[in-house]
Amino acid sequence: MSAARVALDELEKRHRGLTWPRARLWLGVALVVAFYAVSWRLAGVDPAKLATGLPRLGHWLAQAWPPALGELPLFLLRTGETVAMAAIGTTAAVLLAIPAAILASRNITPLPRLYYPMRWLLNALRGIDSFVFALLFVAVVGLGPFAGVLGIALHTWGSAAKFFADHMENVNLGPFEAVRTTGAPRSTAIAYALVPDVLPVFASTSLFWWEFNVRASTVLGVVGAGGIGQELKNSIDLLDFPRLFTIIAIILVVVTALDQFSSWLRKELV
Amino acid sequence: MAGLSRLEVLSVSKRFGGRAAIEEVSFSVNEREFVAVLGPSGAGKTTLFRCVAGLLAPDRGKVRVAGLDVSTLRGRERRHIAVVFQQFNLVSRLSAFENVLAGRLGYVASWRGLARRFERADRLLALECLDRVGLLAHAGQRADTLSGGQQQRVAIARALAQEPDIIVADEPVSSLDPTISAEILALLHRICREGVSILCSLHQVHFALQFADRIVGLSQGKVAIDTATADFDREAANRLYGAPAARGVES
Repeated sequence: MSAARVALDELEKRHRGLTWPRARLWLGVALVVAFYAVSWRLAGVDPAKLATGLPRLGHWLAQAWPPALGELPLFLLRTGETVAMAAIGTTAAVLLAIPAAILASRNITPLPRLYYPMRWLLNALRGIDSFVFALLFVAVVGLGPFAGVLGIALHTWGSAAKFFADHMENVNLGPFEAVRTTGAPRSTAIAYALVPDVLPVFASTSLFWWEFNVRASTVLGVVGAGGIGQELKNSIDLLDFPRLFTIIAIILVVVTALDQFSSWLRKELV
Repeated sequence: MAGLSRLEVLSVSKRFGGRAAIEEVSFSVNEREFVAVLGPSGAGKTTLFRCVAGLLAPDRGKVRVAGLDVSTLRGRERRHIAVVFQQFNLVSRLSAFENVLAGRLGYVASWRGLARRFERADRLLALECLDRVGLLAHAGQRADTLSGGQQQRVAIARALAQEPDIIVADEPVSSLDPTISAEILALLHRICREGVSILCSLHQVHFALQFADRIVGLSQGKVAIDTATADFDREAANRLYGAPAARGVES
């Protein structure tokens, strides 16, 4: 018998019968099935309810025509508020994120002792949604878009800084090392060799967050943090469907337009 | 090759986790001398070069450039030694011109580096350096759009802009094809004749024979050979690599 034949027999023998890897596989499958079964119960999925409720949605849609264009100036102002909240919040977040990201990058930080505290802080900020922050800040600064700005800024600060830091930890330090050997001081070498490398990525992700925050902040109005979401909530409370669907249509148009604009701009940047 | 020694490596040792990467390495590079360092992979070439370039502090021994101890060189004083890397290490999003200007950062005020604003004399020098490596016409081109050979030329121009005493090149042609490699080494050879000493590690024995004035052979972290190129024969190559690799060397 050839050596290859012997090796094949060995392999086949190992795959027969109930082996530990196989038992582990089946155990894994059983766990996944159990997980979905429990989730199905907890999530309260009930297709029958959807079937009886769906006609109601159709009824509303039928009532929604013609759209409520009388209040268009107000809707546009509120939409402008939403876009502005997202813009100010995101910009503040990005500006705060850059120093935080330097402290949270193991390979660049001038203060290694602050590395873990910084990472923890960023994870905490990231773990709390802007919606939750906005809820808190409505209590602090009162109703209105400013609470929304603060909510967006804090959550995005954590997300953006973590992303920037992860990016900087993976950046190729070769050019930085090369510029250092020319006799350049550390700060100059960072500005000369690292910044041109990471800036386009930072700018393009910042745009992405702005766009994301416009979408996310439509719901901030629901907790009283300003913007178009507030009108959306009012319409539902009054069961005013023409108004409701007009607002949804405006949101769709604005979000799509921003999406196109920011993806075009990002392509230009990278 | 008489003359003042530009670079002195004096009994340099470096260990990593108990294992000696280089041990008691000593040699020198004289003015206008091209010294090639040969040796199989793992012989300690890269460790030696990082010590010489000041990127790594030796455990024992000294590296001196123009009389100055490299390990005590701070910031701007490092401009005396220019380093050329295997992977070029250009700032990919900057132009060839701006990359060469980086060679002036050891001379100019910090704000100029931060703002990337250089004086006319520095800009003129940078363009002259690009001209010396034959890339003046590509000055405005972004580094990552240049070919590998062109990128290494830009890196050499950046080294020249430092007006260094010595250029230290760690396997500068390992990522390039044979024709381009020969061109790059010919360029370094010409620069050497114009007054800058060269220390260059290589994998190809024939390139060392063609371009170097002297060959230092590293084997298992120690200097096994230190000889004029003319005296580097098949027996020497055998000692370094073992018999098969030495076949190309005439005795």
